[in-house]
Amino acid sequence: MNPVQSLSIAVQKLFGRQRLRRIILGSIPFIMLLSLWRMNTVNEWLPPVFIPPMASIIEAISILQDECTGIGGILTMNPGCLFTNHVLSSLGRVGLALILGLPFGIAFGVLAGMNRRVSNVLEPIGVFANAISGIAWVPLAIVWFGIGAMTTLFILLNTIFWLVFFNTLLGVRSVPSVLENSVLTLGGSRWNIITQVYFPGALPSIVTGIRMSMGFGWRALIAAEMIGGDSGLGFMIFVSASEYKIEEVFLGVIVIALIWMFTDRSILVPIEKWTVQRWGMVWRPS
Amino acid sequence: MPPKLVVQGLSHHYPDEYTGEDVHALDNVSLDVDEGVFAAVVGPSGCGKTTLLNILAGLLPYSVGHVKVDGIDVTGPGPDRGVVFQEHAILPWRTVARNIGHGLEIQGMASEERKKKVQEFVELVNLTGFEDRYPHELSGGMKQRVALARTLCADPVIMLMDEPFAAVDAQTRITLQEELNRITMATKKTTLLITHNVDEAAFLGDKCFVFTRRPGKLKATILIDIPRDRRVWKDLLHDPQFIEKRDEILTLVREEVSPHGDD
Ligand SMILES: Nc1ncnc2c1ncn2[C@@H]1O[C@H](COP(=O)(O)OP(=O)(O)OP(=O)(O)O)[C@@H](O)[C@H]1O
Ligand SMILES: [Mg+2]
Repeated sequence: MNPVQSLSIAVQKLFGRQRLRRIILGSIPFIMLLSLWRMNTVNEWLPPVFIPPMASIIEAISILQDECTGIGGILTMNPGCLFTNHVLSSLGRVGLALILGLPFGIAFGVLAGMNRRVSNVLEPIGVFANAISGIAWVPLAIVWFGIGAMTTLFILLNTIFWLVFFNTLLGVRSVPSVLENSVLTLGGSRWNIITQVYFPGALPSIVTGIRMSMGFGWRALIAAEMIGGDSGLGFMIFVSASEYKIEEVFLGVIVIALIWMFTDRSILVPIEKWTVQRWGMVWRPS
Repeated sequence: MPPKLVVQGLSHHYPDEYTGEDVHALDNVSLDVDEGVFAAVVGPSGCGKTTLLNILAGLLPYSVGHVKVDGIDVTGPGPDRGVVFQEHAILPWRTVARNIGHGLEIQGMASEERKKKVQEFVELVNLTGFEDRYPHELSGGMKQRVALARTLCADPVIMLMDEPFAAVDAQTRITLQEELNRITMATKKTTLLITHNVDEAAFLGDKCFVFTRRPGKLKATILIDIPRDRRVWKDLLHDPQFIEKRDEILTLVREEVSPHGDD
């Protein structure tokens, strides 16, 4: 066996055949994009003011982080760490909005799902609010809260709460009533029903709701930061563009996408796998 | 000893929101079931069997008549009346063991003690080795065994069953009927089984309540005095006593099914 073959077998063992194939197939478009980018730089089709060379983007990080002192500086958001501060600011806001929005969205969703009266009150206003959720609120939020954290938080909460609320509501309604009845006849209380029937029964929808709300929320945040923010990746892109620092714009855009990809693939998808798929509650493509 | 279950003068109407005409489902039903007795309710489709079971389970409020379990009026669902439903009513997000122990968990039994008890019932329904499986990994028959074990494990005063084997294939049904006979004999559990299958009623029941077509009234009560340990399909199929009782019930039910095949 030649070394190439044994290397290929070792790699296949490490990742698993299926996964390796998926990774390879999934990276084809990225490799094509990167090659095009590289060719553009080499052949000078479009000048660097439109498409900067890859190296200058790495360089942009080190310039932005110029006065930053190590991991400690990054974590304490030292004012010198221009780039990581923007990243952490965006992440922190999404995190805060999730911590505030998810429990309320799920709680009201479960409540409305099990009680007609609550859903009669909340559903119409929810449909109304959902239609204008996201960036449509930005101008108004700026008038109300000014530029800064409150505005972006408001935009995020508006997006996250309603999406999670609606998905939870639909999830609870889809739970067969025989499951509720069976737990009632075992002596289960209302609280037992909520935690042991409605919540797990609605989990497939809730996870979908969280994925959707994080996707939309992340986009809304970036937009809100551009117009009504004072920090964050959206803000960074906007400022960099107005100063014609195209490599910083590229950096921001790529990092926004990478963060989302990482969150979805390594946090949300595994949650789905370990709950919903394990219980046989979603159709699994073969 | 007073009967475990007493139903007196129970009637039920379903209001119809659209036509305004009420559906008269049950009419003046009175029956009782003594401790340790396996009772079966047979009747044509739509005669109100499920309605009766839901009222007994406390899932459907009633206004005319009385229902008492252990001398106490039924006012809502409770752990004294365990129910095995027709559809798969075990929770998909709980393993076999956690489904079976669910009632004990609700009652607040300590986890060590609960595990021991659950294991006992896992063995009773022949599911050893499947404790950590999720319901979607089980066959229809196995799911119903889990449902049966879950109900028995919570140790209700009476077990109510609504066509528990209607959704499984004929072979599995025969096995499950024999197992249900063995298990209720072993646990001495007072049971009320609802079925439209005359063979099933005669095979399992010590006492068979035959219902008329809608509105369901009690038409006849047939006592079947065959010892429980003799109830094995292979033997009963040729047992003159069984055949006689089954034919008696069959005739009573046939009279209620209209010649057009509808109810
Ligand atoms: N929720 C309901 N609302 C109105 N009518 C109902 C309702 N449930 C049942 N009925 C009617 O009451 C009658 C009795 O129904 P039930 O389900 O108790 O019959 P059943 O004996 O269990 O029938 P089957 O053997 O087909 O299961 C039927 O005519 C049915 O249409
Ligand atoms: Mg029925």
